[in-house]
Amino acid sequence: MIGQLLIHALFGSAVTATALYALSIRTQNSVYTKWARGIFRGLFAGLVLTSLMLIIDIVQHRFEYTYVWSYSSTELPLHLLIACFYSGQEGSFLLWTLLVAAIGVFLLQYSKKRGYEQHVMVVYGAILCFLTLLLVAKNPFLFYWESFASQGILPADVPLQGKGLNPLLHNAWITIHPPILFTGFASMTVSFAFAMAGLMRKEYQQWINVALPWTLFGTAILGFGIMLGGFWAYETLGWGGFWGWDPVENSSLIPWLVSVALVHTMLIQRRTRGLVKTNMVLAVSAFVMVLYSTFLTRSGILGDTSVHSFVDPGNFAFWILLLFMATFSIAGISLLLIRRKDMDVNREEFSSTTREFTTAIGAALIMASAIFVTVGTSWPVIMEIMGLPKVAVATDYYNNVHMYLIPFVLILNAISIAFQWRKTNFSVFKKRYLVGAGVAIVGTAVTYAYGIQEVGFLALAFGAWLSLAVNAATGFRIVTSSPTSAGAYISHTGFALLIMGVITTSSYTVHHHAVLVQGKPVQVGEYVLTYEGKEQIEKHFTDREKFKYHVNIAKDGSSKTVSAVLYWSDYNKRQSAFLEPGIRWGFLNDLYVSPKATGVEDVGETITVQRGVSNKLPYDTSVVVTIERFTMPMEEGPGPNGEIQIGAVINVQTANGAAVEQVKTVTQITNSDAGMEFIPGWVSIPGTSVIVGVTKIVRNNADPSKSTADLTFRKTSDQSAAPRETFTIDFSVKPLISLVWIGVITMVAGFFFSIVRLIRNSKSTTTNRVD
Amino acid sequence: MKYVIAGIVIVALMAVGYFALVSGSVPYEDIARAEQLGKTVQIVGSWVKEKGSSYDEKNNIFRFTMKDDQDREIPVELLGAKPNNFEIAISVVVKGRVENGTMKASNVLTKCPSKYESGPAKS
Repeated sequence: MIGQLLIHALFGSAVTATALYALSIRTQNSVYTKWARGIFRGLFAGLVLTSLMLIIDIVQHRFEYTYVWSYSSTELPLHLLIACFYSGQEGSFLLWTLLVAAIGVFLLQYSKKRGYEQHVMVVYGAILCFLTLLLVAKNPFLFYWESFASQGILPADVPLQGKGLNPLLHNAWITIHPPILFTGFASMTVSFAFAMAGLMRKEYQQWINVALPWTLFGTAILGFGIMLGGFWAYETLGWGGFWGWDPVENSSLIPWLVSVALVHTMLIQRRTRGLVKTNMVLAVSAFVMVLYSTFLTRSGILGDTSVHSFVDPGNFAFWILLLFMATFSIAGISLLLIRRKDMDVNREEFSSTTREFTTAIGAALIMASAIFVTVGTSWPVIMEIMGLPKVAVATDYYNNVHMYLIPFVLILNAISIAFQWRKTNFSVFKKRYLVGAGVAIVGTAVTYAYGIQEVGFLALAFGAWLSLAVNAATGFRIVTSSPTSAGAYISHTGFALLIMGVITTSSYTVHHHAVLVQGKPVQVGEYVLTYEGKEQIEKHFTDREKFKYHVNIAKDGSSKTVSAVLYWSDYNKRQSAFLEPGIRWGFLNDLYVSPKATGVEDVGETITVQRGVSNKLPYDTSVVVTIERFTMPMEEGPGPNGEIQIGAVINVQTANGAAVEQVKTVTQITNSDAGMEFIPGWVSIPGTSVIVGVTKIVRNNADPSKSTADLTFRKTSDQSAAPRETFTIDFSVKPLISLVWIGVITMVAGFFFSIVRLIRNSKSTTTNRVD
Repeated sequence: MKYVIAGIVIVALMAVGYFALVSGSVPYEDIARAEQLGKTVQIVGSWVKEKGSSYDEKNNIFRFTMKDDQDREIPVELLGAKPNNFEIAISVVVKGRVENGTMKASNVLTKCPSKYESGPAKS
């Protein structure tokens, strides 16, 4: 009850704080500001309290709450229980809101010092109004009996156990990835609030300096969060790759791309005072794209086009999301239109041989990428709205457009780094660029020699080498004199490395399908793989028997054992397996063992036969076998442990039709949850060195004469050989995939260098208050 | 001059996007149309449970029979293992092309009854 009241109170305080900030702008009365500040901080405290309450409810297993019941269980360890907090839609909205408010508390202080508080916080507050309204609609404190009252559930009916957390999420990543990603999303709100404040106050220059550290921070964190998602998919979920252009992935990529473009155009404006309108438009777009992405992935309208499961949030939440998006798009666009003429004052012409010009074109190409991804992700919805047949977009679309775009982005990047701001001194340009071009030509030739001969990939490789060489050289020169100034070069170097990793993994990855029999080495590509056996882990979970399958990978005398995981869980009624790959990590390549199936070795050969139909004997085709009849369980009596027993009488004939002999084999059948199990009694076939047993019977009730049996034949010499376990895998060698991770981390690190530098600069230069 | 270049760049980008979209988009069709077209399409339908399913681990092929909205059936061969949540799926989206009366699938998406918001447990 308290939880529900609290959530309504949160919405109330968000509205009040926003209204007070609005009043304080209108009346310039600082009493309102003081109250607004207090209420805003109270709102944050309330959100912390709400989140703590939810976490405590989860940790104490209070299944009287629908949310706690839906996503957690008593078996989970603490770090997963905490992750249950945001594993459902209600909780993830709460986390988002909490992080927006937390950033808001810092932002309040920050903008107060710089005289931006009222305008920034009124926008920020309005955003929190919508977020808290979403919480009212998707309340995590709903009682179990409230949710299911229509099914006759009474308040006294409290479930003893929760449904548990999806086993896919049972790893450390769930505790790290979503909070980081949402921090990135939440930071996008800040640039927007500053842009709107700038528009309201008709200050089109100053906001850039104030907002830039936040934009850098948001871009860095969101980028890092996206990478963690990719790493998670690669490392644990066993999707094989790190990126699949899935709508959910795209929906975090789009705001990131827009904010990368924004970072660049903001830097240009700081240097040249140009691109005033562009920056306003991009700051508004970055935030609107966060909302649009949330809408796409949370409203359920994309339905069956994604591997992520979408949950219909219900009508009320759907309309709030839509209204949320509409409100801020319309507010942003109208304010932009109203101030359009005003902003023209700062019009700037760039000479085309300057860093600002080439960077602006680069930013435009990044925006083009954002637009392509947006169109692709929205395509099913666009087609539906236009009343055309539904069409999904294959990943080829994204790959193809980026094959064109990225080489240009990389080449432009190298050129712009070689250019100077304002006016380029061509001797400097030549010195910077020629070295890079030389490296790129040699690098591309080497790439070609290593077997990449597709034009698209070569163009990509050329761009990556060029950008890498120019940035590394320039960055190295700068880093020795002033480390924090090298941020941009570090980030660009990281991006070039990332692209190189993408080239090598997508052109050189080799896949092999292999069925491994326990203890038997198998040559797979250049490696010898041996399945060594399985080992049960996480025994305290009652919903699963989880096994690790150890596979030894050997090459040239050195070997390493990796462990892949495959198991079934009651969570999805054991309908399909949960998989985790086994990976041998390396700088030069990763060896990736993706589990597919487990089974038992077929010793011998099995044929499926109908009664009365003759079949040649495997191993010895001079003999023909026919099932004469099946004997009934009553005839055979129960087995030693009460098993049902069915016999098959088999006629054995030489191929030329001579002498018929009869043999009978009796099979014991046990029935368990796992299905029917057939234990054959082996009999030898006269005149041959082959034994036979019945390993499966499929009854046809409509026409018993069409019932079939599986007859398994073995050589007599294999009689005692117990069938060994098999482990079916997809084995792939992924060269230089480490570059992908190194690249992204380097890229993110570069952003933090720049943030440190900006903060230092602002401390030393802009201590004067602007109010 | 700059505007001309900008114009050309924008037109080029739109052309790239358009052609990529046309070649990269996979239409939803029913089985009859898919058989006619013989190119990569997506078919929405459901698994015919009575006809079973099997995974051939030697060749890494998962086989089952699907039925579309018109109740027409077609055998499906997916290159890969059984998709997640296959048995509980209320519908499947199969991407691939029809060859000799068999849907050679590269991808099968399963659509499940909203597993997170299902009814109350029996307590």
